[in-house]
Amino acid sequence: MILGSLSVLILLSSFVLMANKHIKSYVKTFRAQSLLIACATGIMGVESLLKDSRVDVLVVCVLIIALKVIYIPKLLNKTHAHTHYKVEKDFILNIPLLVIICFALVVFSYFILSSLGESHVQLANSVSVIWIGLFFMISRRKAIGQIIGFLVIENGLFISALLITEGMPFIVDMGILVDLLTAAMIMGFMVNRIDEEFESVDTDRLNNLKG
Amino acid sequence: MGMLLLVLPLIAVILTFVLQDRRLQHAINVAVASGLLLAALFLTGEVITTGSVSYPYIRSFFYVDYLSILILDIIVVIGFLVAVYSIGYLEHELAASEITAGRIRVYYRLLNAFMFTMALTLTVRNIGLMWIAIEGTTLASVFLVGFHVKRNALEAAWKYVMICSVGIAIALLGIIFLHLSSLDVIMNGRFLDWTALYERAKQLHSPSLRLAFIFILIGFGTKAGLAPMHTWLPDAHSEAPSPISALLSGVLLNSAMYGIIRALAIVNRNLGDSTYTGGLLIGLGVLSIVTAAVFVLTQADYKRLLASSSIEHMGVIALALGFFTPAAVFAGLLHMLNHSLSKSMLFLASGNILQVFGTKQISRIHGALHVLPLSGTVFLLGLLAIAGAPPFSIFTSEVSVVTALFSTGRPLLGAIVILLLTFIFAGIAASLFKMFYGLPFEPSPPRGEPNLPGAVCLIILLIAITISGLYVPDVVVVLLNGAAEIITGSPIM
Repeated sequence: MILGSLSVLILLSSFVLMANKHIKSYVKTFRAQSLLIACATGIMGVESLLKDSRVDVLVVCVLIIALKVIYIPKLLNKTHAHTHYKVEKDFILNIPLLVIICFALVVFSYFILSSLGESHVQLANSVSVIWIGLFFMISRRKAIGQIIGFLVIENGLFISALLITEGMPFIVDMGILVDLLTAAMIMGFMVNRIDEEFESVDTDRLNNLKG
Repeated sequence: MGMLLLVLPLIAVILTFVLQDRRLQHAINVAVASGLLLAALFLTGEVITTGSVSYPYIRSFFYVDYLSILILDIIVVIGFLVAVYSIGYLEHELAASEITAGRIRVYYRLLNAFMFTMALTLTVRNIGLMWIAIEGTTLASVFLVGFHVKRNALEAAWKYVMICSVGIAIALLGIIFLHLSSLDVIMNGRFLDWTALYERAKQLHSPSLRLAFIFILIGFGTKAGLAPMHTWLPDAHSEAPSPISALLSGVLLNSAMYGIIRALAIVNRNLGDSTYTGGLLIGLGVLSIVTAAVFVLTQADYKRLLASSSIEHMGVIALALGFFTPAAVFAGLLHMLNHSLSKSMLFLASGNILQVFGTKQISRIHGALHVLPLSGTVFLLGLLAIAGAPPFSIFTSEVSVVTALFSTGRPLLGAIVILLLTFIFAGIAASLFKMFYGLPFEPSPPRGEPNLPGAVCLIILLIAITISGLYVPDVVVVLLNGAAEIITGSPIM
């Protein structure tokens, strides 16, 4: 029950993200979403501690708080503060249209999961988060916006895996977390390089290579 | 012994932090590559005698069978040749002040990390770990793609990391569904274990598996360069240093394809036939060949042209896997082997041409045979080979794939594929052959090979693809048969 409402809140937070206009608010929304995911993981962790006296899910929860709630948002804010070329308008379509497309994506997720037979409402919510993250990447031009989109995809994946069972095998969960966070760090590092070389973080400028 | 495959590259990574001397770095890298070669050779022997190898360490995560050892062998062989080639390549770059001595350490560190992730992909039992390793290959190679820190290299690296990470994330969704399909069947502790999934494939939940396969195909297909998710591939291959392009094309694409193959084996076993997966794979395969044909005809940059041809060959492999008869799968795997050898040879030769002429534009190069007698000849023969001319090995395997097409009763598709392959042949011939003849433009670059160790590698590869075009060694046939049997679940012939 609580997990069900958390999965709705997480979905809602990705709608909020889609409606955000400034890079600083992206980071804030991402932090809030990660916090919700940490809560869901924490609840699962306590349950598995009481039932099978396993602590691994709780360890993952602590890691999420340390990395996704604290470290990565800080890193992104720092990267943003470092970039020299800031232009405010970042999205390609107007916001109401973007939000309507997000609704369509949620319907799409329910549709593909309906083929599984049983009802998977929570799973459909978290799969929607993945599509919205993907769409967020496409709809934003600035490199930092795209990194946030990637991180939201990752959040969606994580919460899907969590809701299907008590997560994947522990080592797999850990590996995924480490891999994806390294990816985010590499991307953050590259934003600075792109900023220096291209005098912009607008990825529309990355258009020399064609064909 | 097999564990050396994972331990050696890690040791090499650590040593790049400790040691300063450039010559020592070269030596260690080649030593590690030869060690990998020996370990793989030993492991191949073990697999041929026992069928599969597993060690009890760390919950026996290590697992190698015919399918993985086949691709692993390709990796270590090309890895070794690239290691030897890199010495001459890096020394030349250093002499031309393209890079500083410190960058050589960075290069070797990343190269060995890259080799580690690829070896890990092929030696794990757990599909989740395999996913982690494949994502690791992207992370380890991003800065290799962007090694020449210039605008274009940076752009290529950014596209590479973004597109591949998102693709791989979608593959993870597929793996989550794979996990979902097995929840009632497999005991805790063996979750996502490929051997367990394969044994119990018939009991898995089919609708979840269907979804899982689509996502895995899209996800790993992005990494394997299948159209329409191929957009990162020409950029990354053309901007990366040439030895790295050889690894990306000859090795990395195979590792991603391996991920698809593992999922394919489970899904087809579960569904009982290959109609569903076949439709998807054949669709993507044909689309990739069409895309490559269009690219090849309009390309002005020879490294990008080679990259487009990789898209084509991945398409041919996907096509062969789509048919899923033992003969077709056998031909597809043989094609994978042949493509890797030919394409890495071409990229290595193109590295020499690029270093001497200093341009990637086809129209600005003339008289390559005059300036670089050896690399030029190898490049020319390699182009004939990759375009599918006899007596080279690509011809043999392409013919087997097309024969499989006709023998499964799809003559129309077979005809279309032949037509497209002809187009690509003509495209490669028309755009590239003018590079070789005549005299170079003034000022003419100095005659002679820039990279002697590399020249030896080129000759070895040329001999390999010529011989295997005429006759496939028995031991390779054993490996290919074993792998095809694992994939299709039925013995060949």
